[in-house]
Amino acid sequence: MAPPQPTPGPSQVAADFTAYYLQRATHEFAEDLDRVRAAADFKHDALAVLVHALQQGTALFAPAEQRRIVTATAAKGRQAVSG
Amino acid sequence: MGKRFSHGPDGGIGARKRQKVVHEAPTSEEITANRQLQQLLSFTQDPVRARHGLQSFKVFLDELLSPDSKDGDRLRILTSYLEAARPAEDNEHAVYLPDLMQIWSHGGQVGNDNIMSAVPVVLALLLKLLSQSLDTVRYGLGICRTLLQKRQQELIARNLSADKGKAFIISPTLRMLKEAISFDGGAIARPLFRARASMFKSLARNMGIVHIGDEAEDIRRPSARTNAVLFFLSALKFLQPEAKKELLSQRDIVAALTRDIKQDPAYLVRELLDGLRSHVLLDDKLPRDAKSSLLNTSTLTRLSALYQYRLDTPAENQPSIADLAHNVLMAACTNPACGVLRQDAGFYPREIDPNAAIPTAELEDLGLEAIVWMNKFKMEVSVRNYTLANFLPNLRPWSSVRQSELLTSIFKVAPELVANYFLTNKSFTFEPKLSATWIGYAAFLFNTVTLPLPDHFCRAPSFPELPPPTSIVIDSILPLPLNQKALARSLAHKSNMISFFATRILVVAIEKLDVAIKMHHDPSHSNKTVWAEAGRRLVDEFCQRSPGIKEMINAYRSIPEGDILHREAASRLLRLCYEVLPQVALMAKFDVSALLETSLRRLSAQELDDPRDFALSLKELENLLAIAGYSPGMRWFAVSEGLSLSPFTMLLKVCVDAPHGVALETIREVLNFVALEQQLVPAHDGHPGLLVLLEALQAYVRLSSSDSSTQIWAFLDNCLTRCANAPVKYIEKMQETKQEGGQDLAAAVVSPIVVAMLEQLPFIATKEGEQATIKALGRFLPKFLGLSATAGESRPLLELMFSRMVAHLADSKGKLAKSGVPRGLSFTYNPLSPTAETRAGGTKDPVGSKGGAKVSTAMDPEILEDTLHVPDGLEADNSGLVKWSTKTVDELVDEGYVSSLVALLASEHASIRKEALVNILKAAAKIKQSEYEEKEQVWLLLSELAETARDKINDEPLPSPIVSFAVHALHVVRDPTSSLYPKVNAFLTRGPCWIVDRLPLVDEILLEEPAVGDTYYTQTSWLLGYLIDGLRTPHDLELFHKKRARGPLFERILALAANPYMRLPLRTQVLRLLYRATGIEGGSTTLTTRFGIVNWLEAREAGCADPSEAALYGGLRGRIWATCDQDRVRSWSKGGLGS
Repeated sequence: MAPPQPTPGPSQVAADFTAYYLQRATHEFAEDLDRVRAAADFKHDALAVLVHALQQGTALFAPAEQRRIVTATAAKGRQAVSG
Repeated sequence: MGKRFSHGPDGGIGARKRQKVVHEAPTSEEITANRQLQQLLSFTQDPVRARHGLQSFKVFLDELLSPDSKDGDRLRILTSYLEAARPAEDNEHAVYLPDLMQIWSHGGQVGNDNIMSAVPVVLALLLKLLSQSLDTVRYGLGICRTLLQKRQQELIARNLSADKGKAFIISPTLRMLKEAISFDGGAIARPLFRARASMFKSLARNMGIVHIGDEAEDIRRPSARTNAVLFFLSALKFLQPEAKKELLSQRDIVAALTRDIKQDPAYLVRELLDGLRSHVLLDDKLPRDAKSSLLNTSTLTRLSALYQYRLDTPAENQPSIADLAHNVLMAACTNPACGVLRQDAGFYPREIDPNAAIPTAELEDLGLEAIVWMNKFKMEVSVRNYTLANFLPNLRPWSSVRQSELLTSIFKVAPELVANYFLTNKSFTFEPKLSATWIGYAAFLFNTVTLPLPDHFCRAPSFPELPPPTSIVIDSILPLPLNQKALARSLAHKSNMISFFATRILVVAIEKLDVAIKMHHDPSHSNKTVWAEAGRRLVDEFCQRSPGIKEMINAYRSIPEGDILHREAASRLLRLCYEVLPQVALMAKFDVSALLETSLRRLSAQELDDPRDFALSLKELENLLAIAGYSPGMRWFAVSEGLSLSPFTMLLKVCVDAPHGVALETIREVLNFVALEQQLVPAHDGHPGLLVLLEALQAYVRLSSSDSSTQIWAFLDNCLTRCANAPVKYIEKMQETKQEGGQDLAAAVVSPIVVAMLEQLPFIATKEGEQATIKALGRFLPKFLGLSATAGESRPLLELMFSRMVAHLADSKGKLAKSGVPRGLSFTYNPLSPTAETRAGGTKDPVGSKGGAKVSTAMDPEILEDTLHVPDGLEADNSGLVKWSTKTVDELVDEGYVSSLVALLASEHASIRKEALVNILKAAAKIKQSEYEEKEQVWLLLSELAETARDKINDEPLPSPIVSFAVHALHVVRDPTSSLYPKVNAFLTRGPCWIVDRLPLVDEILLEEPAVGDTYYTQTSWLLGYLIDGLRTPHDLELFHKKRARGPLFERILALAANPYMRLPLRTQVLRLLYRATGIEGGSTTLTTRFGIVNWLEAREAGCADPSEAALYGGLRGRIWATCDQDRVRSWSKGGLGS
C-alpha cells in the first residue's frame, strides 16, 4: 500500500494554485496574450506586468478554496492507487 | 549660483579665459631611501622640482597601496620619513608634513594649478594608506588635524571653489576630504564639519560637475560629482545626528545630490542608495524633520527615475538598482519614522472634524445635508500627506510591477491619498484597449480596489460621530477611472481577457462595498440614521459607477464554454450582486436555469480531464446554485430541450460522479434543501434527508461498471419529478400502503421517493428493452432501502414495499425476496449525523444565510430594533413647502422634492396639509408643462392624489397608506422599466380619485399574475415597502385590520409569510411591518387578540432551523408582550399569556 501523501502546507497550496491559475489563464486567453505581446507598447517590464496582472486574480480565492482546487489532483492520484 | 562665470578668488576673468591650461606630465624617480624621500618633499619654490618630488611620492604611494604590494622596505621608508617630519609637540597647532604644506601654500600663492592639485592627490593617498594600520593612525590623525588649521582650510576652500573646468584640482581635494572625514572611524568628522564653510565649500556646485562624454564614466577616473557625492556620503556616515541634521538642511546640497542621479555610474548609485538607507532612513537618532528635508518631492521623484535606470549590469545574486531604489522608496514612503509619511485620518480629509457636534434635531431633520462638508470633496480632497500627494503622479504604475506596488503600499498606509490621486490624475482613462499599458493599469486598479478599508474609516479604535464623505469612500471602492461607461465597454469587449479583467475588478469592488455597507450599519454608531443614510447613498453612488446587472449577465453569457476560469469569475460577480445589491440584481429578468444546465451538462459529461478543472467548474456551479436560490423562478424539475434529465437529477448525478476529494458540501446542502422543500424526503428530526439516496447512489456507482450505472438515472429522474410535482399523492399512497399492511404501521414513515419508485417500477418492468435497467435496479434498490432503514425509516413498511418491488425485479432464483431489505448498512460517503447538524443544514436556506450567529434564545431588544426598525419615511418636513419651487422638474421628481410635498398630506396640522395640496397642484402643473419624459404619468398621479385629498384633509390627515402609496408609486411611474409600471398605470387610469379606506394594488399584486416576467417577489417586496411606510397611526392600523372581502390585510400578510418559497429578506419585511405595528398605540394588543400573533410567531419559530431567524421571532414575541395592554391580553387569554 502506498504511504499516505502528506497534506501540502499553506505556502505550497498557494504556489500550486498560482501555477494552476496561470496555466488556466494562459490557456483561455492565448489569442489575446499573443496580440498583447505584439502590441507597440510591449517592452521593458511589460512581461512582468502581464504575469503579475494575470496571477493577481488568485486573490479572489480564499485559501480554503485554493486548497480545495489544488488538492483535487492529489485525490485523483490516490484514487488511482487504491483503485 | 552662477555656473558659467564662476572662478577662483584670484585672477582676472579676461586673463584667465584666454589662458590655456597645459598639463605637462611631471617627471618622477623611484624612491629607495628615507633621505631621498625627505629631499624630494623638501620645500622648493621651483615648480618643476616640486612636482617632480610630489609625482615621485605619488608613484611610491600608489605602489604601496596596490593590493599585491608586500614591500616592507617602502613602508619602513615611509614610516621613518613620517617620524622625522613629525612636529616636536603634538598639539592642535602642530603642523604635520610642514614642507608639503608649504609647497601647497606656495603653489596657491603663485597660482600653480598643478601643485594645487598634486598636494591633495598625495595627501588623499597617504591618508588612505595610513588608515590601514593601527601603527600609522597617529600620523594620519596629525595630518588631518593639520588640514583643519586656518592656512590649510583656506587652501582647501580655494581648491574646492576652483574653476568648474578644473576638476583635476577639485576631485583630489574631495577625495582627500573623504579620507579625512572617515579617518579612524570619523575621529575628526565633528571638527571638520565645524569648519564647513571651507570644507563643504561649493559642494552643491561640485556635485553638478558631471562626467561628459559618450562613453560611461571610468571607474578609475571618477568625476568631480562622483567624488563630491562620495564625500557627502562619508559625512552622512560619520557625522553625529545634530551635525547631520544641519548638513541635510542645506537645500542646495540636498537638491544637487540627486539631480543627476540617472546619469551616475552604477556603483555610485548603489553607494548613494545604500548610504541614504543606512545613514538617513534607518538612523533612529536622526530627527524626523531632518529626514523629511532630504526626502522632499523632488528627491523622491528623482529616486523613482531609477526604476528606468539603464546603465546597470548587476552581478549574479546582486539586486538591480531598480530593486534597491524600490526598497529605499518603500521604506521612505511607508514608514512613518522616515519623515515622509504623516498620520492621516483615513477617509476623513484634513480640516474636517468627524466628531463635530451637530444638534440631534438638525441631524434628524436634514439627515446628511446637516453635515456641511459631506458633499465638499467631490472635486478636490485636502490631504495631510502633501509631499506624497505631489510625488505620486510621477510614478508610472501601469508600466512596472514595482511602481504599482509602491503606489498601492502608499495608499495602504495613507488611505486619504486614494481619492486625491485619482482626482488629480484624470488624464489616464480605463477605456479598454488590448495593450500592455491597459493591462498594467487594470492590474494597478485591481490592487487599489483590493486594499482594505481603513479601520473605522478613520484609522482610530472606534467610529467617529459622523460618516465619512461618501465621495471619498466610493473613490476607494471604484476609483474614478472605473466609471460606468468604461467598465461596461470593457465587459462587452470582444477580447475575452479585457472582459475578464473588468469582471475581476468588479468582484473585488463589490466585496469591498459589502464591507463598507456593514461598517455603515455597525451597531456602535451613535447617529444611526445618518450613518444608514450615508450607507444608502454609498450604494446609490456605486450603482451609478458600476455597469448594470444586464451588462454583467450579457458578458457572462458570451464567455466560451471552455473558459472555466472566466466563467467562474463572471458567475461569482453575479452571485455577489444578488447578495450585496439584491435591489439591483432582482431588477433584471435573469433566468439562471439555462446557464445552470450548461454547467451541469459539462460537469456530468465529465469533459474535464483535469480534476482541478472539475473543482473550478464546481465553483461556478455553486455560484449559479446560489443565484438560483435568490431568484424564485428556478424550475428544478422541468426537463428542458437540451437535457435528458431535470436540473435536480443532473445535480445529483454531478455529485455522485465527482472525483474523489472534490468538496461537495454546498451542492449537497442545496440538493437537500430542494428535496425537503419539494417533500421528496421526510422532514422530521433525525432523518438525514436526501443523503440516503445520495449515499445509495454513490455506493452503487462505485461498485458498478460505468455502463450499467447509467441505466438507473432516467428511472430515478422520472420518480423524482413525479414526486416533486405531486407530493401529496405519494403521501396518500403511503397511507394506503400502511393501511394495507396493518394497524401497527400507523406511525411508520418512509421517503415519498420510495413510494414513487414502487409505483413506477411495474411500468418499466413491462417496457421493451429495459431489462438492463431492471437488472441495475435489482442491485440498487436493496441498498437504497437498507440505507433508508439505517436512517430511521420504518423497517416493516420498507420490507412490505420491497416485497412488492421484488415481483418486478429480475429475481428468478428468489435471492432478493429471501434476503429482503439488508440490515446494518452504514454510511461511508456521507456523514450521517441524524441530530442537529444534518437537520440544520437541511432546512436552513443553504445560500441565503451565511451561518448567522447561533442564538438559541430571543433576540436582544436593541438588536431587534436594529434589524426590524424602519425610519418613518413620511416624516413631516415643512421646509418641503418652499424648497421645491426653485428646483428643476428633474430634481423635483428624481430627488424627492415632490415626495416630501406629498408626505405633508399626512401632517397633523390642517394648514400644512392645505398648503401642501396647493403646492402639489402647482408642482403638477409645472411638471405637465415641462419636457420631463414621464410628465403625463407623474401629473396624473399627483392630480388624482390631489383630487382624493381635496375634501378629506380639512378635518383629518390623509391616511398614511394612501400617502405612502403615492410616494412609492411616484418612483414607479418615472421608471418605465419597473415591473410595476403596468399595474400602477392601470390603477391610475381607473378613475379620478381613490377610495381612501381601500389600500391600492394589494389584490393586484398578491392575487394576480405579475404581468412582467418572474417578478412576483419583486412586486411583493414593493408592496410591503409601501405598507410599512404607510403604517404610522392608530387610524392607519384600523385600515390594516378592517374586515374585508378577502379577509383583513394583516391576515393576508401573515399568510404570505407562510409561503415556503419566500426568502428571508421578504420574510423580514413582513416582520418589519409587524414591528411597526407594535410601535403604535393598541397595535400589539390588536395583533394578539385579533390575529393570534403570539401563536403565529411561536409556530414560525418552531418551524425555523436557522437559529438567527428563530431568535428574530422570539425577540418579536417579547416586543409584542412588552408593548401590549398586558392586563387585557392576560384576561383575553385566560391567563395563557404572560403567566
